[in-house]
Amino acid sequence: MKSSTKLFIASRHLRSRAFQTFSVVAVVAFSVGLAVALFLVSQGLQLGLVHAVEPFELIVGAKGSPYQLLLNTVFLQDAPIGNIGWEDYAELSDDVRVGSAVPLGFGDSYRGYPIIGTVSSLLDVRVRPSDPPWLRITQGRWFEEGRFEAVLGAQAAARSGLRLGDGFRTSHGIVAGDEHSEEYRVVGIAETVQGPWDRAIFVPLEILQSVHEHEHEGEHESESESEGEGKEVTTVLVHPASYADAYRLAVSYQNDSGKQLIFPAQTAIRLFALIGRGEAFLSIVVYAVEACALLTTLLVLYWSGAARSRERMLLRVLGLPFKTLVFISWLEGTIALSTGAFLGELLGRAGAHAAFSLLGEATAIQPTVPLTLQECLAPLVLLSVGSLSTLAVAWRDARNSEEPPR
Amino acid sequence: MGLSNPLLEIHGLRKEYMQPGGPVQALYLDFLEARAGDAIAVTGPSGSGKTTLLHLLAALVRPSQGSIRFDGRDLPAAAYSARWRALSVGYVFQEMNLLPDFSLLENLLIAAEISGVPRAFDRSLSLLCRLGIEDLRYRRPAKLSLGEQQRAAVARAVLHAPPLLLADEPTASLDAENAGIVMNLLLELAAESKSLLLVATHDEAVKKRFPRVVELTKNIEKTGQRGNLP
Repeated sequence: MKSSTKLFIASRHLRSRAFQTFSVVAVVAFSVGLAVALFLVSQGLQLGLVHAVEPFELIVGAKGSPYQLLLNTVFLQDAPIGNIGWEDYAELSDDVRVGSAVPLGFGDSYRGYPIIGTVSSLLDVRVRPSDPPWLRITQGRWFEEGRFEAVLGAQAAARSGLRLGDGFRTSHGIVAGDEHSEEYRVVGIAETVQGPWDRAIFVPLEILQSVHEHEHEGEHESESESEGEGKEVTTVLVHPASYADAYRLAVSYQNDSGKQLIFPAQTAIRLFALIGRGEAFLSIVVYAVEACALLTTLLVLYWSGAARSRERMLLRVLGLPFKTLVFISWLEGTIALSTGAFLGELLGRAGAHAAFSLLGEATAIQPTVPLTLQECLAPLVLLSVGSLSTLAVAWRDARNSEEPPR
Repeated sequence: MGLSNPLLEIHGLRKEYMQPGGPVQALYLDFLEARAGDAIAVTGPSGSGKTTLLHLLAALVRPSQGSIRFDGRDLPAAAYSARWRALSVGYVFQEMNLLPDFSLLENLLIAAEISGVPRAFDRSLSLLCRLGIEDLRYRRPAKLSLGEQQRAAVARAVLHAPPLLLADEPTASLDAENAGIVMNLLLELAAESKSLLLVATHDEAVKKRFPRVVELTKNIEKTGQRGNLP
């Protein structure tokens, strides 16, 4: 018998039992979609976090939770732990173990977009020495120190409603708080960094400091203008002079009661491991759902096969060989399983992209996951196990059809 | 006919089925010889082994004892039985002969492909025309009357002009008119293709249409008891 005829018979059987076929396809698609979506979200999140952390080699900030320091500085989430003195930054800058140090000030926002006070040396940060600068200006220019000027991160530019030349006032705190009276003017827009800092609005650190001093310590305004005295920074991004210097610096901060130094990559891995515990539980749930899907599929195929015993007997009487009979039954099950697995893969991808979109909206983390064998593992395993089980059911059905019809 | 070699030779054919209480004899046929073009009615009460005989001839089951020779050779072993059936046997059941998910024409084309019938489409269509059901060719069996289904079953059975045409109570579910039509078709088409036709029936009217009748008797005794000779 021609292959096209076998396919024709199998597909006609599937069409004639549309409800059973739909049940198998839907159950398989749901379970595969769930597994794929979970895998993609998990992998995408991990890759997104790793990508977001890449530019930050060391971070020095106030003593407290390293996770909070990481979340605040790298992911621009959560409130800052507190500030450290300008002299601490100055000390780091002068340290021979430090290649470069970039001070950062947090605490203000504009419509939910975090304000980062910084200096021009931020533009010198590179992920690898051979790479172009991590943060680049795509429109306008970088702000001038000492002026109320601002540069928008890519997402802030796209979604905050601000454009080049616009003026805006910032609020105290991450959520809308008291509005500061000073107005910044947008002078530049940064190219996307594919990470949380796309949500940032960069302003001169000394201006940010002066605004805060003016608001909270107005009486000391004149004093604060003296070089660094009384000023604070939230964190310092540190590029160590060498790999060994990074560890020497870490050791020197171990016993510091007011400050801490973290390796963001390591802290992110630990943070992800914490998240991973929940993910492991979810994986078990997904495997259970897959097992249920497989069982449902086999039951549907079993019942469907039992209902067609007369047809198989007729085909056998017509002279259809045993192995062709098995093949056609197997083909039916495998077509249904493959369709379900394929749709599940699409559903999983769609679900993951929806989750990524929501995540990107809220955090600007931009997870991207290329198609990998690991991602296809759930559909492939289900398809393989299902296909083998279908073969067993088909074999059994064909054997049962050896009882001749009356 | 009388001078040609027998197409079918049966000697001491016995079939037993295993039952919880021990083996039960379903058929015993001591001797039967038939030639191409013969038309034989196989009669006898329920349980006498009419259907079993047809199953044995179609190589759907193996005999417990005895031999079936077809065209001078022993009936092929089970490994070759599918091919044997595809090429040599046409079979009509009492009812539900057609694949329910396929149209009447598709039923014929599938059977034709299994048997390797050349120009299957033309052959199928011409048979359906002859049987007066060509207008129903795109209908599925559920949309046909029993009489129409049986005519289609006859068409499918003779499609590849098999040397052995078997029919198991082909008119049992039909009214007298349709039974007459189906039997006419079976006899005509079998004669045209010089097929050896064996029809299992307990219908006296059908039996009378056959020049030759093989009578089986019921034998439900345990193994070792001899069944009646035809």
